[in-house]
Amino acid sequence: MIAFGCVALGAVLLMLLSAMPKVRMEHCSLFAFVTLLIGLILTLASFGELFTFFPLPKFFHKMVIVDSYSVYFDAIILSGALVTSLIGTHYFQAKRHFKKEFFSLFLFSVSGMMLLVHASELLSAFIALEIASLSLYVMIGFQKVHDKRVEASFQYLVLGSLAGIFFLLGSAFVYAGLGTTILGEMGNRLDTLMGKDVSLVTIGATLILATFLFKISAFPFQNWTIDVYDGSSLPVSAFMAATFKVAIFGFILRLMLVDFDPIRDTWDTLFIVVIIATLLYGSFLAIIQKSLKRMLAASSIVHTGYLLIAFVSIGYAGESAASSIIYYLVAYFLSAMGAFGLISYIAADEHVRVTYEDFRGFAHVHPYMAAMLSVFMLSLAGIPSTIGFVGKFYIFTGAIEAGYTFLAVCGVVATFVSVYYYFKLIALMYFYPACDSDWKDVPSLKGITPLTIGLIAVAIIWGGIGNTFIAYFPGVDFLIDTARLSYMSLFIK
Amino acid sequence: MIVSSLFSYVLVAMLLFSIGLLGVIARKNIFVIYMSIELMFNAINLLFVALAQYRHSYDGQIFAVVIIATAAAEAAVFLALIVVLFRRKKSLDADVLRALSQKEAA
Repeated sequence: MIAFGCVALGAVLLMLLSAMPKVRMEHCSLFAFVTLLIGLILTLASFGELFTFFPLPKFFHKMVIVDSYSVYFDAIILSGALVTSLIGTHYFQAKRHFKKEFFSLFLFSVSGMMLLVHASELLSAFIALEIASLSLYVMIGFQKVHDKRVEASFQYLVLGSLAGIFFLLGSAFVYAGLGTTILGEMGNRLDTLMGKDVSLVTIGATLILATFLFKISAFPFQNWTIDVYDGSSLPVSAFMAATFKVAIFGFILRLMLVDFDPIRDTWDTLFIVVIIATLLYGSFLAIIQKSLKRMLAASSIVHTGYLLIAFVSIGYAGESAASSIIYYLVAYFLSAMGAFGLISYIAADEHVRVTYEDFRGFAHVHPYMAAMLSVFMLSLAGIPSTIGFVGKFYIFTGAIEAGYTFLAVCGVVATFVSVYYYFKLIALMYFYPACDSDWKDVPSLKGITPLTIGLIAVAIIWGGIGNTFIAYFPGVDFLIDTARLSYMSLFIK
Repeated sequence: MIVSSLFSYVLVAMLLFSIGLLGVIARKNIFVIYMSIELMFNAINLLFVALAQYRHSYDGQIFAVVIIATAAAEAAVFLALIVVLFRRKKSLDADVLRALSQKEAA
């Protein structure tokens, strides 16, 4: 919670600072980075312990909660934001459309996401969701000289507000049915109502769920994803894809595990249909894209499908499924962040070089970048010895444990299909002679951005083979154990 | 009396909500889309206040107050974007927003 306060305070301070003419954009970027770093250090101080409490009960009553679970998600969100600000440095400097206020909005968005995982009331969740989304809308449309940016922002704004309204309508129904919107108490009242008619609560919870399916871009609500990711600038897409999804899953998992546990069976069939449709349609969309950015956006829909597989298995294999979701979120966040980051680095100048064809023979000219890009693609496809494989392994194991073998098979098939659109890039980079296009526009490997991306690539491989080389150094097992611990902290009364 | 019953309030709120939803789906003018979204927010306010009265608790009213504040924040972003769009396109028709259509993106 101190970390949240630090980031929120930093956001307000930065907003005030950016009004001063002496402060330049580089200073703001540095300030945001330092704030996030302090927040991350504060979070990691209590990482890996088992605890839960309500901070300042006099002021907040039970609207915010701090437990190992939210701290785990805080750590993911903060490191995501930190990585975004690092890999964005080069892009922000090259583009020159980003003004000082951008970083203030960025910090506001991060603090909203952190509040979302700390939320213990539907109302505080709504406020957090709006803080995070409203700042994101502005961040997307920030370069208002581009039609694409403004339109993506408008599209996301209209659809996002609609989703927010459905969240409110859902909480109104839940309030009507249960008389409370505090997490934990809703679950208790629902338990006493079992056996009676709870259709009002079911409708409300379904509406809330629909909002979150929209935000994580699951099947019936996936259409905005590609357009908005394509329309926004690359660091912002990376931030959205990796971090926002984590925060949303953080809240919805808490809601489902703690409160709507008694009525979760209602959605089983619905979820199975949603998952299969998400995997199918997402794969189809990813195959037909020519632009690399749009392909990554479409493949994020497929990854939502994998995450939802673990989400339905929670009912029967709670602990392993929940921790596999948390682990997969880390895996996806690393791989997507790396891929988006590297592409944003390559495309930092005005010649946007992001279609498949542009990467023909890329490896012969820039072997290191091509190698890093290949690592990210391998991890996204889930090839062994990368973190993506371990994540998928846990998810499919959880699904089979829970008896959803069919869904696991669907997931594996979708993975096979995904090899096509990920490996197409690798094949183009390595197996073709370099084309004549001038690669001089691609910046050389210097500065903080390539270093960060390289570190992510190392982390991905480390996450895949971890622990086998150096014992007692945090690797896969550590992350999984902490995920289990955070899952346990949800149920301390 | 029928006026004070919860049912009539819920009915009015749901009617307003449906009108708003229809407006977002069917209208082309981006300003009207914005107004429809505001209408839906207010329908939910009405619903919450009526429910709070029915349940004799203040939770619902707090919800309504917070929603009013958030809707105001959203209005700021919406109006700013409408101004930007109008400056660039000289039109408020949602159909002119074509930069992201699938055909041209490839």
